[in-house]
Amino acid sequence: MKEWYDAIQNAQSVEKLEEIRVSVFGKKGVLALEFAKMKTATDEEKAQIAKDLNTHKSALTNELMQRKITLQTLELQEAMRASAIDVSLFSSKSQSGALHPVMETMDKIIEYFTAMNFDIKTGPMVENDFYNFEALNLPKYHPARDMQDTFYFKDEMLLRTHTSPVQIRTMMSTKPPIRMIAPGAVFRRDYDITHTPMFHQVEGLLVDEEGIVSFANLKFILENFLKYMFGDVEVRFRPSFFPFTEPSAEVDISCIFCKGCGCRVCSKTGWLEVLGCGIVDPNVFKAVGYKNVSGYAFGLGVERFAMLIHQIGDLRSLFEGDIKLLEQFQ
Amino acid sequence: MIVTRSWLNEWIDLKGITTDNLVKTLNSIGLEVDRVHHYKVPEKIVFGRVLECEKHPDADKLNICKVDIGSSTRQIVCGASNVRAGLNVVVATIGAEMPNGLIIKPVVLRGIDSEGMICSAGEIGFENIQDGIMELDESIGGYTLGQEVSENNIFGDDLIEIELTANRGDCLSIRGIARDLSAAYDRPLKEVTFNENEDRRIGIGRILSLSHEKDLNINLRYKAVDLKNLIIPFVIKLRLSQIEEKRDTDIESIMLYATHSSGVILKAYNYGFFCAKNDTMAKIVLSEDKHGYACIMSKEKASTIGIIQEDASKVTYVEGTVLIEASYIPPDIISKKMAISKIPSGPLYYRTSRGSEPELNLGLSFCLDLIESNSNSAIFGGNIELCDSYENKIVSVSKQEIDEIIGASIDKVKINKILKNLGFNTAKSHADHFVISVPRFRHDIINKQDIIEEIVRLVGIDNIPSKPFMFKEENKLKDDYFEYKKRRTYRHRAAQSGFFESVHFVFDEKKVLQKYGFDTLNEELELLNPIVNTLDTLRSTLMTGLLKAASGNVNNGYSSVKLFEVGSVFNASREESLKMAMLFCGNKESESLSNSGKPQKIDFAFFTQKIADIIGEFELRTHTTKHSLSHPFQCAEILIGDEAVGELFRVHPSVQDSYNLDITIMCEIDFTKLPDSLKVAKNVSKYQASFRDLSIVMPQEMSYDRVKGVIEKNASNELIHFYPVDRYADESLGENVSLSIRFMLQSDEKTLQEEDITSSMDAILNALKNELGITLR
Repeated sequence: MKEWYDAIQNAQSVEKLEEIRVSVFGKKGVLALEFAKMKTATDEEKAQIAKDLNTHKSALTNELMQRKITLQTLELQEAMRASAIDVSLFSSKSQSGALHPVMETMDKIIEYFTAMNFDIKTGPMVENDFYNFEALNLPKYHPARDMQDTFYFKDEMLLRTHTSPVQIRTMMSTKPPIRMIAPGAVFRRDYDITHTPMFHQVEGLLVDEEGIVSFANLKFILENFLKYMFGDVEVRFRPSFFPFTEPSAEVDISCIFCKGCGCRVCSKTGWLEVLGCGIVDPNVFKAVGYKNVSGYAFGLGVERFAMLIHQIGDLRSLFEGDIKLLEQFQ
Repeated sequence: MIVTRSWLNEWIDLKGITTDNLVKTLNSIGLEVDRVHHYKVPEKIVFGRVLECEKHPDADKLNICKVDIGSSTRQIVCGASNVRAGLNVVVATIGAEMPNGLIIKPVVLRGIDSEGMICSAGEIGFENIQDGIMELDESIGGYTLGQEVSENNIFGDDLIEIELTANRGDCLSIRGIARDLSAAYDRPLKEVTFNENEDRRIGIGRILSLSHEKDLNINLRYKAVDLKNLIIPFVIKLRLSQIEEKRDTDIESIMLYATHSSGVILKAYNYGFFCAKNDTMAKIVLSEDKHGYACIMSKEKASTIGIIQEDASKVTYVEGTVLIEASYIPPDIISKKMAISKIPSGPLYYRTSRGSEPELNLGLSFCLDLIESNSNSAIFGGNIELCDSYENKIVSVSKQEIDEIIGASIDKVKINKILKNLGFNTAKSHADHFVISVPRFRHDIINKQDIIEEIVRLVGIDNIPSKPFMFKEENKLKDDYFEYKKRRTYRHRAAQSGFFESVHFVFDEKKVLQKYGFDTLNEELELLNPIVNTLDTLRSTLMTGLLKAASGNVNNGYSSVKLFEVGSVFNASREESLKMAMLFCGNKESESLSNSGKPQKIDFAFFTQKIADIIGEFELRTHTTKHSLSHPFQCAEILIGDEAVGELFRVHPSVQDSYNLDITIMCEIDFTKLPDSLKVAKNVSKYQASFRDLSIVMPQEMSYDRVKGVIEKNASNELIHFYPVDRYADESLGENVSLSIRFMLQSDEKTLQEEDITSSMDAILNALKNELGITLR
């Protein structure tokens, strides 16, 4: 019988093993022949032969099974080896599109203020003089109107130069307290490397009872917000002038590129101007018919934030649907 | 507004304050510093004096000079036309490295040794102030020959350019800036005194009279001077070049310098302009011109106050009588007038519309003092003036109000000090109540908040602690938020489906919109002042913008362009609405191993599938667009439920060509009509679903719409849905096509048996046969 053990061990394929199984266990197989020999044996011999053969039978069955598993594993292994691929051929390039960096930055800004319990408010792009200027303490002759070159229509309507008219509309239709932001597109008649005739702003307004909204509150939320947007930066407030707020300030962050040491982006000053803000001018409240209130307001340009955060150099490229730029944001 | 440290120092003592600190302080008090320039004259450039000067024997334009540089005398060959003996000059000695990189070495010029260079302003890093070399005088202060020029305050100066906000006309002068610094540093302004000795002067009344027709709220003050031998001091020339302004005549330069120093508007008039023929008495008349502007008149207009001086009244001579005028016009009057009827303006208007200095005597005295000390002129005694009656505004504010708005308690003494240094009078204050008299030069201070602003900026915002605001919680998730969220959701889906978000101006070119048959604004609602021709109206569609962007990308070498935009468009009545548009051009996907480098082109089915991934389930119906961007036979209206929400089409081949595009399919959807409510789940059957395919033969011309209609009408309750899976045509079918439709059947009550399915399908087949004459293949 030993040769069959060897045969099983030496079988190199599942098919060969099957041949061996038939040769051993088949009707005319070795075992059958051996068992047949019992007919001529004595009773004692029979018992011995039967015992031996049964031992062989179960041992060979076991050997066959073991060998089969081994061979199957080897064959699977071989088959898998044959289907090997060069994984390095398959790039990881995404086929998905991407959100526009300015819109995504706007989303991030909105996310902050929504989490801080601010309302989102929107309004029309085509506005009249009252909402865009007059109610914001910008009478017709005011030199500050020069700061915002305006697109006018033939019927004296205009394209809003900031999203502040949304604040006026909100105050005129709602009672205080107010806690809102107005995100959206705004328009100024300027077109060069650093200006486009359309850009996006987010402006905020908070109004509550008289005597409770202070400059210190404004400082808190803007410092907190700027750290959320830009990480660990220093925030600096510089007194400034806006017709609709008083006191007013411009807000700088320490330059995120040179960490305040002075570089090309910050014109060697170490600071980047990112926001305007202030305490709402009483004339604005007067224009909307609010009495005994206090409030703060702030405004920022979304393109500026996006360009700083993503280190985009050319403002105009943002409005050209340029995939070269957009695919970087996949 | 440009200032220099040495110039400021004439009005306020800056001792012990570094320029860095000065810049920081200016920023913190709201005078934003735009630019700082440190003049740094290189080493080995020293003061000298030309002792002798003679022509070079072999060169017409060169001079051989003996120059005293203190320790020794050097021979220097100089080519400047103005070099002469006796001049005090700046000399670059051997070894000096000039700002342009040139290193001074001993040279031989046409056979003559030259040991150094006599310098022009430009050569040592300043703006050039005259042709040739600098001619120094005592105006730069004391120095010794041979001393390094960089040690001098005027040459070692720092220039600071400040970007002023529109309300701060009072800071449009050196003195004005000094006044703000005086409050910031709590240092008094320097006492500036003028020579006003009136002895033995001829009274101005003998040569000038002033009359006015009506009260025009204007302050005027005149002096007269017999001008003779005026020489502009070097420092004034240098500073005028530093502020980048230049005047044609010396007297005009003096006016400009005095205005920039004091803030008072000054003009010099030709005396003869106001004298009638054979008359020695000048007569000035203040009246209004036809636009209502206040004017100085003789027979002709001499100037428009605060705006511009006529050339004819200017002084063109260097010797003779000159009238000097100081004027003040309230800024609101002049800018209001300008808003109503615009007239050409000059450099004066920038100052007067923001508020010039009303203290006329200061400017006038400063100016005449300059003239007197730099010429042999005789000044007439006294002055002629016209004053309005102005009383200072009074603003009162309590300490509590100040503290509430700032959000911190500010020391009372400090508040008082700040206000006083700024020139405000607080004498009438009592207890915790400030009563403040506002000087006229601060026309921008009107109310409490203005006063608080002054305190905030001088206390320094950095010194105010931040404090969170306490508020009542409120549900802020309302309509505008949901609208925003919906927009964000669809934008995200579009990006995930492979489209790039693009943002375009809401402007478009009217010609292009009209060419393709889109709405344009009614003429009377059109833009008045477009910025360029190609952006001369508001867009009524997002599609032209996307096509242009696609074209740009194709030109950049992209063979597959997928773009979308969500944005506002305007109809002919200029009503704003929100649209979403998607464009797909060229290859379905990028070249890769999976497509063996040959990706298929975008087709209608693939694009429709992409759009469904973004906006969800919809149906398409044959459609003809109003505009001409669309392929006439591959054009559909998008229906959600029964509502038309937009259009989806292949771009017309000729439009594709004109934009240089490959096959392009696009759609535009009315964004507000896209669903954003929560979905309601249907009951799902727990029994097995069965599928059946039918292949029918139908006329090529027939729309699937009709087949669909018949199937829907005759469907049993068990028919869950059906959809076309294959469309096939060949010669044997002739005018017909074969269409395979897959049906899914399912019951809520049981597993469907073969006979149930057959009876459902038979009902449909019969109906198709009877109603449309369509049979199985």
